[in-house]
Amino acid sequence: MAGEIAASHRRDPIKNTVGNAAVQRRRQHAVSVAKERREAMFRTKRLCTEGFTNDMDVAINGDMMIEEESSLLEAQTSSAVEELKLAISSKGKENTVNALRELRRLLSRSEFPFVEIALKSGAIPLLAQCLSFGSQDEQLLEAAWCLTNIAAGKPEETKALVPTLPLLIAHLGDKSSLSVAEQCAWALGNVAGESEELRDLLLSQGALLPLARMMSHDKGKTVRTAAWALSNLIKGPDPEAATELIKIHGVVDAILRHLKKSDVELATEVAWVVVYLSALSDVAIQVLMKTEIVQVIVDQLAASNTLQSLIPLLRSLGNLMAGDVVLGPGNETTDSIIRSLSKCLKSEHRFLKKEAAWVLSNIAAGSVAHKQMICKSEAVSILLNLLVTSPFDIKKEVAYVLGNLCVAPSDGSGRPSLLLDHLVSFVRNGCLCGFIDLVKSSDLEAARLGLHFIELVLRGMPNGEGQKLVEMADGIDAMERFQFHENDELRMMANLLVDSYFGETYGVDE
Amino acid sequence: MMMVDNHLQTQTQLQSEFQYWFPVLRRFGPDDPFFASGNIERELLAKQIALDLTEEEKQELRNLEDEYSEVFCPIVGCGATLKSLTDFEDHYNARHTSSCSVCSRVYPTSRLLSIHVSEAHDSFFQAKAARGYPMYECLVEGCGVKLKSYKSRHQHLMDKHNFPSTYEFFKKSRPSKKERMKKIQRKQKHVAVSADEGEESSAMQVEEETLDGLVSAVSKLTTSDSSPSAISFGRRHTRGFTFVPRAVQRETKK
Repeated sequence: MAGEIAASHRRDPIKNTVGNAAVQRRRQHAVSVAKERREAMFRTKRLCTEGFTNDMDVAINGDMMIEEESSLLEAQTSSAVEELKLAISSKGKENTVNALRELRRLLSRSEFPFVEIALKSGAIPLLAQCLSFGSQDEQLLEAAWCLTNIAAGKPEETKALVPTLPLLIAHLGDKSSLSVAEQCAWALGNVAGESEELRDLLLSQGALLPLARMMSHDKGKTVRTAAWALSNLIKGPDPEAATELIKIHGVVDAILRHLKKSDVELATEVAWVVVYLSALSDVAIQVLMKTEIVQVIVDQLAASNTLQSLIPLLRSLGNLMAGDVVLGPGNETTDSIIRSLSKCLKSEHRFLKKEAAWVLSNIAAGSVAHKQMICKSEAVSILLNLLVTSPFDIKKEVAYVLGNLCVAPSDGSGRPSLLLDHLVSFVRNGCLCGFIDLVKSSDLEAARLGLHFIELVLRGMPNGEGQKLVEMADGIDAMERFQFHENDELRMMANLLVDSYFGETYGVDE
Repeated sequence: MMMVDNHLQTQTQLQSEFQYWFPVLRRFGPDDPFFASGNIERELLAKQIALDLTEEEKQELRNLEDEYSEVFCPIVGCGATLKSLTDFEDHYNARHTSSCSVCSRVYPTSRLLSIHVSEAHDSFFQAKAARGYPMYECLVEGCGVKLKSYKSRHQHLMDKHNFPSTYEFFKKSRPSKKERMKKIQRKQKHVAVSADEGEESSAMQVEEETLDGLVSAVSKLTTSDSSPSAISFGRRHTRGFTFVPRAVQRETKK
């Protein structure tokens, strides 16, 4: 079939097109291919290249395509659409399925699927017809697959699916075969991932409920696809969809059930749903915190070895801890959390360290007991080291943890009191330099953190040691830089500190 | 006893205006830039097979994020954009740390430095100011207004340019650690102390010793006990003083 022809062309020797023009075109081609690949990376859409059938002649290659081959495939695409049109109008079921399959193969290339030409040739209305109720499964499947890959590309291409959306949603129903429902979910996931407008449209057309129901299935692949589509659908920024989702009967149970499973890919996608639920909806956090979800996540975190699952598990935990809910879990759970976070702090991945430190900073903002637990763990020595060695964005998060550990929870009146033993211990370990580095940086938030910590040191270190330590670490220098800083708040803070602690009478009684 | 007083004063002063460290929960929206690198990693992991990404490509995509992290120099009137924090440090050290050759105080722009030199070390300036000429330039470049006194210039900065009242071009001096050590040693041994760190030129050394003499002379003028006067000549890191009394100035002339 067409797939074979395409393959044999690739095996032909590269035609010899001499001259600058050809080289130029090839270079431009390469640039636009690279750009397209990069953009494909950042989209939250996914191309479906492997399906439920066994044909593996789908082209997946990293080589730059030769131009002649490209225009040939374009021609093939438009003729495939033509064939489909003929097949539909002649009402030949087998022909229709064959034509669909042909089109699907062309659209499944990971390298430049020929979506634009398919659209121009009028594929959408034809595909919509193929989705009519009562059609055989294979036809529905192939049609949904085509739509999935059309929606995986550029914004205009995804938007083209709008006329087919109600049909795709309808085929999510419990009367559809599972593979059809899955493929429709995938297509809808791509559409939802495109923009807020499309998300709103899908929600208004009732996409949420059937997708949520799909999560209650047992088949891993189905749940995975449904979960991924759901996370694209509820990602907001309007939190309403997230709040709706958590209220749907059976969703919370399904989430917990799947998170406990050892299927890593499944737990990953379900965890991403929790990420969005917890990031967007306070109601969701409240509902979830009444369950054992924290323990489940903590267990999975401890058992998890793959980066892909670590990311959403860590982040769900972080989002849940950041909610207005007081951290309820008992000491064992908290201990386990701190251990997992320490593991992440030692990761080679920069963002993992950063996010783990963030979660710790929120735990450290809790009760005195929580702060003490962190201080007793190995987390502190890792953090002190990171303060000195790590890149700036991680340093900032670490600063939050250390500072939070030194200050008691505020009781609403004036100045919060210090936890002296923590402060003294950190300062003796040489953390002051790291904070003064933050003061010197150009980032306002970091500078504020640094100045705040300096105040703690000046106020809290016994026997006026704070002043000497700050001076020795070039702290006065760093603060004096603010004299000419454009930010009023920071300038005032720095001036106040220097005037109050390093005024005329500084060090007189030595 | 002095220390206790100091702390009390510190506490009350700070308490009224300072914003202290309060531990708070920090939360980020799902698409906050804070999560960007984690999100990119998610997409990379999900698509690496389908798109057949090489390690190089993946690293390149991760680095794309860093390209957008520009740094703006926060020093008033600078406006420079730097590509990274290390670049910023270099920029700061190159452009914003010019120091006065007379008293080694540091200023962030050459214009402010030259204003300082006129106002603090130029007797001609002092003479004209004393006779009532408006000599104190507005610190905002391009304004051009000149005032008759340090105070009225300060007022102008607040009125016309919204500077806060805490903005002090010349702050009250604070004796550096070396200065304080010197005073103590002088009291103990009455011997001139050598220059610190060996970095200063001999010219500075001479000036220092002369200055030291002046300080002790001036302190004798006051009726207070051994506490230092408000004026003190310092090395780098100390800040300027509001005015130089004529008596002292005459003696510094070489």
